[in-house]
Amino acid sequence: MELNDKLEILADAAKYDASCASSGAPKRSSEGKDGLGATNGMGICHSYTPDGRCVSLLKILLTNFCVYDCQYCVNRRTSNVPRARFTVQEVVKLTVDFYLRNYIDGLFLSSGIIQSADYTMEQLVAVARELREVHQFRGYIHLKTIPDADPALIEAAGRYADRLSVNIELPTQDSVQRLAPEKNVHTIKLAMGNIRLKLDEKENEPKAPKFAPAGQSTQMIVGADASDDARILTTAETLYGSYKLKRVYYSAFSPIPESPKSVPLAPPPLLREHRLYQADFLLRSYGFQAKELLPDSGNLPLDIDPKLAWALTHREHFPMDLNRAEPQMIARIPGIGIRNAQRIVELRRMRQVRWADLARLRCSMKKVAPFIVTADYRPAQDTTPSDTLRKAMADVPQQMALFPELQAA
Amino acid sequence: MPPTAVGELVNDSGSKVVKEVEVASAVEVASAVEVEVEVEVEVEAASAVEVASEAGSKAVTESASETASKLASEETHNPDERSDPPPSNFQPGAQPRISRKLMEMLQGAACYRAHDRWAFLYRVLWRWHSGEHDVISMADVDGTRLHHMVRAARHEEHDMHAYLRFRERPEEAGAPRFVAWFEPAHDVLPQVAQHFAKRMGKTSWMIATPEATVLWDGARLHTGEALARSAADFDDAGESLWLTYYRSIFNPARLNADIMHGHIRQRFWKNLPEAAVVPHMVTQAAAGARKVGQLDTVGKRGGTTIPISSEKAAPERQQPSSLDECRRCDLWQNATQAVAGQGARRAKIMLVGEQPGDQEDLAGKPFVGPAGDLLDKAMDEAALDRRTVYVTNAVKHFKWEPRGKRRLHKTPAQKEVMACRYWLETELETVAPDVLVALGSTALKSILQTGSVTMKDYMGAPFEHEGRWVVVTYHPAYALRVPDRESRQAAFAAIVEALKTAQQLASGGTAPGL
Ligand code: SF4
Repeated sequence: MELNDKLEILADAAKYDASCASSGAPKRSSEGKDGLGATNGMGICHSYTPDGRCVSLLKILLTNFCVYDCQYCVNRRTSNVPRARFTVQEVVKLTVDFYLRNYIDGLFLSSGIIQSADYTMEQLVAVARELREVHQFRGYIHLKTIPDADPALIEAAGRYADRLSVNIELPTQDSVQRLAPEKNVHTIKLAMGNIRLKLDEKENEPKAPKFAPAGQSTQMIVGADASDDARILTTAETLYGSYKLKRVYYSAFSPIPESPKSVPLAPPPLLREHRLYQADFLLRSYGFQAKELLPDSGNLPLDIDPKLAWALTHREHFPMDLNRAEPQMIARIPGIGIRNAQRIVELRRMRQVRWADLARLRCSMKKVAPFIVTADYRPAQDTTPSDTLRKAMADVPQQMALFPELQAA
Repeated sequence: MPPTAVGELVNDSGSKVVKEVEVASAVEVASAVEVEVEVEVEVEAASAVEVASEAGSKAVTESASETASKLASEETHNPDERSDPPPSNFQPGAQPRISRKLMEMLQGAACYRAHDRWAFLYRVLWRWHSGEHDVISMADVDGTRLHHMVRAARHEEHDMHAYLRFRERPEEAGAPRFVAWFEPAHDVLPQVAQHFAKRMGKTSWMIATPEATVLWDGARLHTGEALARSAADFDDAGESLWLTYYRSIFNPARLNADIMHGHIRQRFWKNLPEAAVVPHMVTQAAAGARKVGQLDTVGKRGGTTIPISSEKAAPERQQPSSLDECRRCDLWQNATQAVAGQGARRAKIMLVGEQPGDQEDLAGKPFVGPAGDLLDKAMDEAALDRRTVYVTNAVKHFKWEPRGKRRLHKTPAQKEVMACRYWLETELETVAPDVLVALGSTALKSILQTGSVTMKDYMGAPFEHEGRWVVVTYHPAYALRVPDRESRQAAFAAIVEALKTAQQLASGGTAPGL
């Protein structure tokens, strides 16, 4: 099979993994050196495809032959898809050629399970080793980690890769058992725990061998099982706390050809995925807890973002005086992000914060208006009922446009 | 793109306010990324913010003094830009002293193309020199514009890192091996050249823009005159693999071209090879292929299933111990694994702690974290060999709650202690110790099977329970946690004492005080 055919099949097979990040690697440079590649910690999106997703890495499977039968996966053994397998050399060549043309920041390599977990992991490690040792490639490498593989192989993977990821796949143990019968939450957690121990070890002993400097991440599929957002966010919070993940990726389940009956045929729940990303961001960066955002079971609202939803159910904190409020509370005001919260705190050290300052900081004025007090402004009626505000501020997101068309189709 | 126009007027109070700011779209995009959480979709959050703010803060071409003198020399060209008279202490020819931060901002903003850029930067410098240091703050009108210029230039630099495409020239054509054409809106080529020098190693390349050309010969950068666009217009067979990849990695079921256009500004498309395939991808997807994620050409190829039975497919795993499968209470859910006791199978002394902690949960062994270290120290001091004892916990799964990015230990409830008592009993039966050391009150509650006991009633007074000695002392974590040093030392000493007592009891002695 031609390289081009393999690429078509094995990129198509890899697209369901949402991770695209190429940030967090230590600074590396090839200036004046043999080999190629540089990283500066930031990561670059080199393109976007018409689904709005960023292309920053060459994201492919080494092979889509797979002995597992995960129901949500297009590559499951019972799926009638074209199959292909790259050689180690082919992946290396594609990575280098793409990198030199500035299409990508590096490689994200995953694989179907062939023969055994150990054999599959060895193949992934072989690619990374070849890139790093033979080609002195200093770009970004993300390796998918096969949970049941020998810890020694995971250690080797961490030596070459910037990031490792073990996918949790689904939010509950029951769903994994039902939809991915060969997978096992217990061994998935053990693999994540093992990676975290190695990351801790490296952090405490700088002389320890290099290990995945950009940390570990995972992915959860949304909408393939019946789990609600409360369950998903609690699981994410548990994983962040336990394994120091850099990111949890949420991937709206996309229907696959000849879909088995165990998974839905519905269009991907994109808006729901979007709300989960927002909520996740609030967990990671704003100090929210999952139970603050969703105290009971259920889903995040689709018509408003989770921060606004929180504010509307916690009117007792508002309107908040920007000249007095605790800095971390300012970032909880709808319409004010973390950076603007910092700027406001900087500003108020010099003088009183006024209404016009917020406009200059490009805050969404309509959004902040009912929630703030400044030196020259106080909301006219801070008694407006929450559902009135909610109606006034509901998003009409672009993604909504998808649904009528899809329902018609 | 039209340059930024900033009109300015002076209001009654004498402070300046912005009347009309028509900011380049670069700035809008840059700030939109960080304004609110809504925007974060696929991009790594950290990188989105960093990209907007940090992109290209270093690589600066002109040395600081060059910039300063350039700024100074432009003074005369724009006499009407500033009407204030110079401050009285102003001395012509004096070297302005400026902060590092201001220098960095001036350097950044100097790359921003605007008809009045030098005049504006000169004004900033002058105001700084006259003591108005908030000229670089967002609270100041000039400061706001300065920030916008810096950010727009960084954003342009970042876009150039992202959307520049090299084409490979035939080997026999010699250097440069790779050539690119790009039309930057701001003067960022020198910084961008540094970026690619780091990226490409010893491979030679050339970047041509309408204003200038940079060549990297594999060791050094050379700057030259502008070349025609045709310098970068030739076939590169490697591009077709990229287009294949670009089409395949797209998920037609998620079609949302607006987001794509929101990210890549219009003016970049004409130089992107993938622009050629976008319209077809969008129509195909919109025409119905979008119901599934698979690329249509992949679907048309013949497929294969893999004939292997489910039993053969599953990896060989260690049979989970029945402890690992325990569902007697809910604690298993948020823990990594159950942590069983460890030690001599026929130990005379069994130490019972509370529950595994963060480290124990990951390692699967009891007492390996900081509390474990302290326990080791106490055992050393009591001359008790860890290999001769059995160490376990009253509760086998880690109970915790999230606190920021960490796991905060939470004391198990009595119902969890009682549920887990089953496993402690199993251990008691197998190991059959003569002496139990209860480390902390959870252990005591488990041993006595009641929640209504107070540790201090039993401290220092070993007693017999169900045919064994029970010695009660603090949990090592307590000895780490108590705030003052004296109490910590006292707690440690009490633990050592309890271990000594346990040893005496185990070797048939009687407990002190009995
Ligand atoms: S292991 Fe499961 S998820 Fe991975 S490729 Fe095979 S069937 Fe798909």
